Amino acid sequence: MASLGKLLRSAGFRFALLYTAAFVLSVAALGFLVEIALTTTLREQAQHRIDAEVGALVDEFVHGGRVDLDVALAGRFARGGGRLSHAIVEVDGRVGVGNPDLAALAGSADTSARPVSAAGGRKLARPLIAATRRLGDGTKLVVADDLQGIKEVTAILNRAFAIALMASIVFGLGLGLVVSRRLLARVDAVTRTAEAIIAGDLGRRIALSGSGDDFDRLSRTLNRMLDRISGLMENLRQVTNDVAHDLRTPLTRLQHGLLTSGKQASTVGEYRASIDRAVLEIDEILTIFTALLRIAQIEAGARRAGFRSIDLSDVLRTVGEAYAPGIEDGGRRVRYAIEPDLRIDGDRELLVQLFANLIENALHYTPPGATISLELARSGAGVVAAVADDGPGIDVAERDKVLRRFYRVEKSRGTKGHGLGLPLVAAVAELHAAILTLSDNRPGLRAAVSFPAPA
Amino acid sequence: MKILLIEDDEATAAFVRSEMAEAGHDVAFAPDGPSGLSLALAGGHDVAIVDRMLPGLDGLALTRRLRAARVRTPLLFLTTMSGIDDRVEGLEAGADDYLVKPFAFAELLARVNALARRPPISAIVTVLRAADLEMDLMARTVRRAGRSIDLQPREFQLLEFLMRNAGALVTRRQLLENVWDFHFDPKTNIVETHMSRLRAKVDRDFDCWLIETVRGSGYILRGLSG
Repeated sequence: MASLGKLLRSAGFRFALLYTAAFVLSVAALGFLVEIALTTTLREQAQHRIDAEVGALVDEFVHGGRVDLDVALAGRFARGGGRLSHAIVEVDGRVGVGNPDLAALAGSADTSARPVSAAGGRKLARPLIAATRRLGDGTKLVVADDLQGIKEVTAILNRAFAIALMASIVFGLGLGLVVSRRLLARVDAVTRTAEAIIAGDLGRRIALSGSGDDFDRLSRTLNRMLDRISGLMENLRQVTNDVAHDLRTPLTRLQHGLLTSGKQASTVGEYRASIDRAVLEIDEILTIFTALLRIAQIEAGARRAGFRSIDLSDVLRTVGEAYAPGIEDGGRRVRYAIEPDLRIDGDRELLVQLFANLIENALHYTPPGATISLELARSGAGVVAAVADDGPGIDVAERDKVLRRFYRVEKSRGTKGHGLGLPLVAAVAELHAAILTLSDNRPGLRAAVSFPAPA
Repeated sequence: MKILLIEDDEATAAFVRSEMAEAGHDVAFAPDGPSGLSLALAGGHDVAIVDRMLPGLDGLALTRRLRAARVRTPLLFLTTMSGIDDRVEGLEAGADDYLVKPFAFAELLARVNALARRPPISAIVTVLRAADLEMDLMARTVRRAGRSIDLQPREFQLLEFLMRNAGALVTRRQLLENVWDFHFDPKTNIVETHMSRLRAKVDRDFDCWLIETVRGSGYILRGLSG
């Protein structure tokens, strides 16, 4: 019962109800108009018939006198079946021949056929159409029709319309129920999915019917929205985890250092040294924290709104030149292969950081004597930027892992760095819908970022 | 120098006030947005330091109202670290500089000094001077004691920033932001390596060294600016 109640309250059913009501009203109005037109026509036809009959009988009287008239009437009575009734009212007011009920209609004046509902001050049992004519001998001829035929026709018509109305009500409501049940099923599917998600089953998605209708379109959009939300939540969860796990190590180190010097330090110099160490630790913690939040913020994608047309050639060259003295001072070389004036839509500040991180990475993982190449070239409709070196490179097995937060190549543990450089590069690339690939430069590592064509 | 500090965090405010006083500056202080705004509207400050998150009226709105009221006091925005967009928003609201918490006091002082020294927009300077160093901004030439010094474009920008702030501490981060437009902390000594090349050109052949390194903080160009 509850589900029927829900069905009856559903928007689909209400719409069907409204539609059916409108349909029924218009059918009823049509029936009413048809009835009026039909009765009017039938009544006019009856009047013509009566007037014609009166004319024919008067002709009989004029040519053959009362005898011929009586013969003609006798013939009519004998045939029967006709709808008309006749009477001849004698001079003394009695009905000589025909229907005695018509005596009352024989007034003083002649009338052509007209509706009559009362005669001689009395209401008739049923309304008639009647005509009277005074004949030459003082008698009166009355011809009448009791409208029974018209009533029968309209009764048939009314019955037909009533059946049609009933059918359309039943059909309309039935169809309304079927359609609204189907719509309700789709809405219920969406509602059930939403309830499941609210209850914690975040992976649930709305099933599509495959018909590509409005519901499918809506469901697809909702599913995409859910994907986006769960991506953001995953992102948030990851940041929380990272912060919890990976800041704990330096924080513990800081705590131990402070506890130790609290117990062991005695001179001002020793205290000062331990404070300096603590400040350095805190700086490191803040750096990690900033980098994590920055990655999270980039991954959230909020910055795409600030995209502008950027001269990527200029960005790569500027960053390269900023690092060139440091690279050369370490006994390495920089090689530029940058096509000029290549533009993409992007965020300059983040792109600067992307290239800076790649160059710092190359600098960090190559021995003196290495060459670091900065390359930028058109590729199809897009642009490919690459930072390549001829150092030891990264093992194939490790290439995916280095993009993870806090992952550091095993051989490099113990060197400076916190493992957030490449994940940030990956996040910035992703924000720009660019693809980051790490490949073998034979020898060395080649980190390439393929940007799509500007929109 | 008269400094207006609008900051709701008591510890930060106390720290900045005592350090500024030690550096010889007067600090007017407001702990919330509305009282800060009325102090700022009264004017008479050389620099305003405004926290981004303030009770009553946040730092962005305060800055906008101040600029709408045509108060042109140089303004430095303080904010917590998270927002990448915060800097852009702050600058668009009318702030002149931007510093992320936590910060070293030396960094704050250097930036406040730089803001206070900033010449009014109307004053067009074409030649900078410090000691015997002379920089022609139109011809893009540098001479020291009459001898021409040949600089790369980036070295020129670096020296220009030092000369505009001659006599005052300039931090690494100020240089990264103003010379390279880098708004992150590189793990490589970009500033140091460029500075040593600049120094080789400006100082090596002279008895008196003009560019002085302040350990852990930044650099000072000796000699009064012109």
